Amino acid sequence: MPRETIGETIGETNIGEAKVREANAVDFWRGFALITIFINHIPGIYFERFTHRNVSISDSAELFVFLAGWGLALMVSRYEARKAHIEAIKALADRALRIYAVHLMLVTIAIALLAAAATTYDNPLLLEWHNAATVFYDPIRAHIGLVTLSYQLGYFDILPLYVVLTAASPLVVMLHWYAPRALLPASVALYVFVLVFRVSIPTWPTQGTWFFNPLAWQLIFVLGFVLARDTGAGAFVRRHINALVKLALPIVIATSIMQFWNLHPDPTGMPEPKLLFVDVKSFQTPIRLLQFLALAAVIAVTSKRIMAVLPPVTRVLSLLGRKSLVVFSVGSVLSLACQVVRYVYKAELPLDFLLLVVGLSVMIFSAWLAEWPKSASMSKTQAGNRIA
Amino acid sequence: MPLYRRRSFVALSTTLVGASAIAVASAGALVSAKAEPTPPPLSNDCQTPGVNISGAIPLSNVQRALRETKVIKILAIGASASAMMRRTGEHYFKVIEGVLERTIPGVDVQIIDRGVSGELARNAAERIKSEVALNRPDLVLWQVGSSDAVAGVPVDQFETELDDTVAWLRGHGIDVALVGLQYIRGLAKDAQYQAIRNAVNRVADRNQILRISRYEATQVIEQVEAQKSGEAPNAFAISEQGHTCLSEYVVRAISSGVFLRPVRPR
Repeated sequence: MPRETIGETIGETNIGEAKVREANAVDFWRGFALITIFINHIPGIYFERFTHRNVSISDSAELFVFLAGWGLALMVSRYEARKAHIEAIKALADRALRIYAVHLMLVTIAIALLAAAATTYDNPLLLEWHNAATVFYDPIRAHIGLVTLSYQLGYFDILPLYVVLTAASPLVVMLHWYAPRALLPASVALYVFVLVFRVSIPTWPTQGTWFFNPLAWQLIFVLGFVLARDTGAGAFVRRHINALVKLALPIVIATSIMQFWNLHPDPTGMPEPKLLFVDVKSFQTPIRLLQFLALAAVIAVTSKRIMAVLPPVTRVLSLLGRKSLVVFSVGSVLSLACQVVRYVYKAELPLDFLLLVVGLSVMIFSAWLAEWPKSASMSKTQAGNRIA
Repeated sequence: MPLYRRRSFVALSTTLVGASAIAVASAGALVSAKAEPTPPPLSNDCQTPGVNISGAIPLSNVQRALRETKVIKILAIGASASAMMRRTGEHYFKVIEGVLERTIPGVDVQIIDRGVSGELARNAAERIKSEVALNRPDLVLWQVGSSDAVAGVPVDQFETELDDTVAWLRGHGIDVALVGLQYIRGLAKDAQYQAIRNAVNRVADRNQILRISRYEATQVIEQVEAQKSGEAPNAFAISEQGHTCLSEYVVRAISSGVFLRPVRPR
């Protein structure tokens, strides 16, 4: 994604900004990822067949984490310009704490929602949705696990990854400041080690491992950070983006065909170490990573045109992307509520359509409200411009 | 032969014959015990008169693993086992590992828990293939159907996906045990829930694989409780009891499958 298409995006850390920033590619694609996450988190909904994961090995999770790394780079560059390094580290720690608090709040709401639905409809099955059973059957240890992030609810497991990556981001930033050439090799080395030796983080009290293994997913975050910079790998990609797209396009097309017609090779026939060759989301395995980077290269050169052709969509998606944490939170709770509604009223296409419209409207309204009164003044300015 | 010597001879002969008989009987008992150890009896709360927990399906790949390596690797997929956590804090799969190891002497049972709650069969199908490649299990224990039923997945689509995945697993020399849907009183007349339940049964029958009759067993437990107390028991309590009993049913099903002779095609 060329830097010039991004403008001065600084992510949500830019609290207190005087004006709402203009629509840009990062916010646009972040908004896109948020909508697809909302839809994909309602299993069985009619519209999930239209999200890009049906024709792409990677999905919105990769896009979201990559853009988080990209946003980190842009935020840090703002502090670098003022030589405010300590301030930058403090801002990152604040952000990690904020995301952690939001995660705990969301999990609490989700548990209450499941409990309310289960008791209202006298259905204990609802207590067991999304790995929530432990809270109800083993509450003492479950609460310790929830607070320490060692116990996660299904579909509420990407924020713990985000918390860990944000908490580790001062390390990324310091490595970038003091040994910039070591950052990407160190990240790749950790990634390869984790895949070769199958290192994962166990969950507790449930037996298992983190669905999003932070030790593997850190690479896509670091890649977002590195590629957003004007130096090093970021500069190289910008210089050779056209050549890279020529390489990327066949990968994107071939993997789309593979995904759509389910033509994946038999993983049991792959050589060792298998994690280097098979498609495993938890470990963000190379086939997913390669396909995502190819897709990102294609997106980078097409973003401007897509955004120019679809101005209203661009405005809406950018609005969602600017307030990604608020929208993600609202979307997560809404998707769970939609699942309950689909269960109670028996899912049919008209109901799915209604849920989609209501869900997206609430997400857009939440983003607008989070920006208010700036969003209101911006709307007035835009209206004024149109009249003029 | 003097009388005292004759008596001694008789006594000695009797002792030897008796000892031999005991030895032969003991050896026979040992042999039969080695060939077919009996699984631990079901606890009182988990008795389900009239319900066949898993049928007589031999687990031929597990038997081969037992013969060759004395290690049985079981991959647990589908709804997470967290629901089956006992109040004591003992993990469901640890309990099953322990009981199976006591039931089948000398065996090392390894259960790899890759359960993801709320996962639909079609998403689990993709993951199963990768997990099989990574872990090379002898048996896949798949809790399937509840999420699809609740999400309103079309029954024919669900059945085809389940069928395909079971066929893929068997084609790769892996036994499959399906843990069917839970019994929920409120869903006893729910058309979608029952249709998915029947689809799981059909897939198990068609592919001649083990299916643990969790639904039927829990239904009987509820009836027994209702008879005892004279009123419909609390649905949440029955569900919790059903989870506790499921570990006993899984042990019984697997240990039975290990010692049944493979059915030879005529």
